[in-house]
Amino acid sequence: MGHFILRRLAGFVLTMLAAAILIFLLLEVLPGDPAGTMLGVSATPETVAALRAELGLDRPAFQRFLSWILGLFTGDLGLSYTYRVPVGGLIAERIAVTLPLATMALVLAATIGITLGTLAASRGSGPVDAAIMAVSQLGIAIPNFWFGILFVLLFSVTLGWFPSGGFPGWQADPAGAFRALVLPAFALALPQSAVLARMTRTSMLETLGEDFIRTARAKGLNRAQVLRRHALRNALIPVITVLGLQFSFLVAGTIVVENVFALPGLGRLLVQAVGGHDLILIKSLVLLFVGTVIAVNTAVDLAYGLIDPRLRIAA
Amino acid sequence: MIARALRHPSFLIGAVLSLLICTVALASLFWTPEDPTKMRILMRLKGPSAEFWLGTDQFGRDVASILMVGARNALLTGLVAVAIGLGFGLMLGVMAAQMKGRWIDDAIMRALDFVFAFPAVLSAILILTFLGPGLVNAVIAIGIFNIPVFARVARGATLQVLARDFIRAAQLARVPKLVILRRHVLPNIAGLMIVQASTQFALAILAEAGLSYLGLGTQPPNPSWGRMLNDAQTFLAMSPRLALLPGLAIALSVLAFNLLGDGLRDILDPRLEER
Repeated sequence: MGHFILRRLAGFVLTMLAAAILIFLLLEVLPGDPAGTMLGVSATPETVAALRAELGLDRPAFQRFLSWILGLFTGDLGLSYTYRVPVGGLIAERIAVTLPLATMALVLAATIGITLGTLAASRGSGPVDAAIMAVSQLGIAIPNFWFGILFVLLFSVTLGWFPSGGFPGWQADPAGAFRALVLPAFALALPQSAVLARMTRTSMLETLGEDFIRTARAKGLNRAQVLRRHALRNALIPVITVLGLQFSFLVAGTIVVENVFALPGLGRLLVQAVGGHDLILIKSLVLLFVGTVIAVNTAVDLAYGLIDPRLRIAA
Repeated sequence: MIARALRHPSFLIGAVLSLLICTVALASLFWTPEDPTKMRILMRLKGPSAEFWLGTDQFGRDVASILMVGARNALLTGLVAVAIGLGFGLMLGVMAAQMKGRWIDDAIMRALDFVFAFPAVLSAILILTFLGPGLVNAVIAIGIFNIPVFARVARGATLQVLARDFIRAAQLARVPKLVILRRHVLPNIAGLMIVQASTQFALAILAEAGLSYLGLGTQPPNPSWGRMLNDAQTFLAMSPRLALLPGLAIALSVLAFNLLGDGLRDILDPRLEER
């Protein structure tokens, strides 16, 4: 068991290191001159040289890489070129929008998806099942940012229940901040919940065909009890894995959806950084996003191994 | 098999819809109702009429024509992204399966897990930062993200085929490895790969729409459904039609290819038929 955990954690550290090297190569080594890239074609050689000195780009690449990695632990990630403030501070400030948004979306997706999937499976093949499957097929096809725009059209422009975008800040207006995240969270969650609903239904149908379900029924439990105590638990194991894999789509989704609702989160920051060629900022942001995906996948692997001992050997 | 296909509702709907979209995209190469790039400032944000079937956008361009050309770009994205993913993924997956138990298999699968940690939008942002935004770069990024998906499916399917008796028979008859691969393995995993291609095609259309929405994909004046949605947001209260039509086009295309994939899966392998 200890061996399994160690192997997974070592894998995590190695993958993170590889990701950091790749990002560093793509953004700071391959383009040749990052200072030139950031300033654009109209820059004079003097300003490029000044920026290069300011960012420490005259040091060897290996040294720069090491100081970046060390900075990840100390929080000193350098100054953002466009915002002129420390990258660490920018990220800390924006994460207060993205983390609650992603969490809300994940909880919504899991709740809606697992409920609908269980409902579809437990009713057998009938109108309920067919309706849920048809709706989920539609949900998968609709891009999250279009959901966002449709929600704005209905709930902001027409009904005026929710703001169409922007974020008042947690300190200034906690209730308003929460309201600002409701529509984006639903927009992010619905396509994911559609995938989860289909997955839960398939897994549930498989589990309901197992012998231990018949045994549970035979010993006198009613349908609801069997469903809750025996079927759901077993059926959820593959669903949790899919939930972990879906997380990478959720992370990518926040980048787009934050832009739909003009939310000052990490995703919007990243797109703005790309627009401003702010390589210093892009570097750390991309690593943060990719690192989150890698961490979640490792956590799912670990959880899976804890639940099902057979998988430890295979790993 | 054809009879089963004709009785399969999701396959039928998917096939008809995809054919329709492909026809529209192909037609746009030769004919659109109006010139999709022609601006008519006096005719801006007009509703549907006999002259402009689906109305005009904020520059007075014909929405129906832009949507048609957008279909072409969406399908092209799907096609190239799937080709990249399928080409490299199939090769790597089959190779890994052949080398199972050896370090090569492990190395390939680890490398692919690594690629999979970069969602398409992120790898696109990385690529676009030094290559500049554009449809081609976006498509490459989406294609790269597809590689691990195809490779995993190909590896799993190849392992299953390699364990079958007829492969052992061929090996005993001293049939060369490559011939076994071409004659026995590939035909047996083709079905699964086609099904996966259909799903990834749909996902590629979604990814391109997302990237173009962010301004990182197709660049103006080349039309893209994702970009149209971004432009439409400014005029949401005035003409919601501009936000509804491109979204509908994206959703219908994705739905079409997903249904097609689901249908093909059931038809090619009746055991998997949804219960």
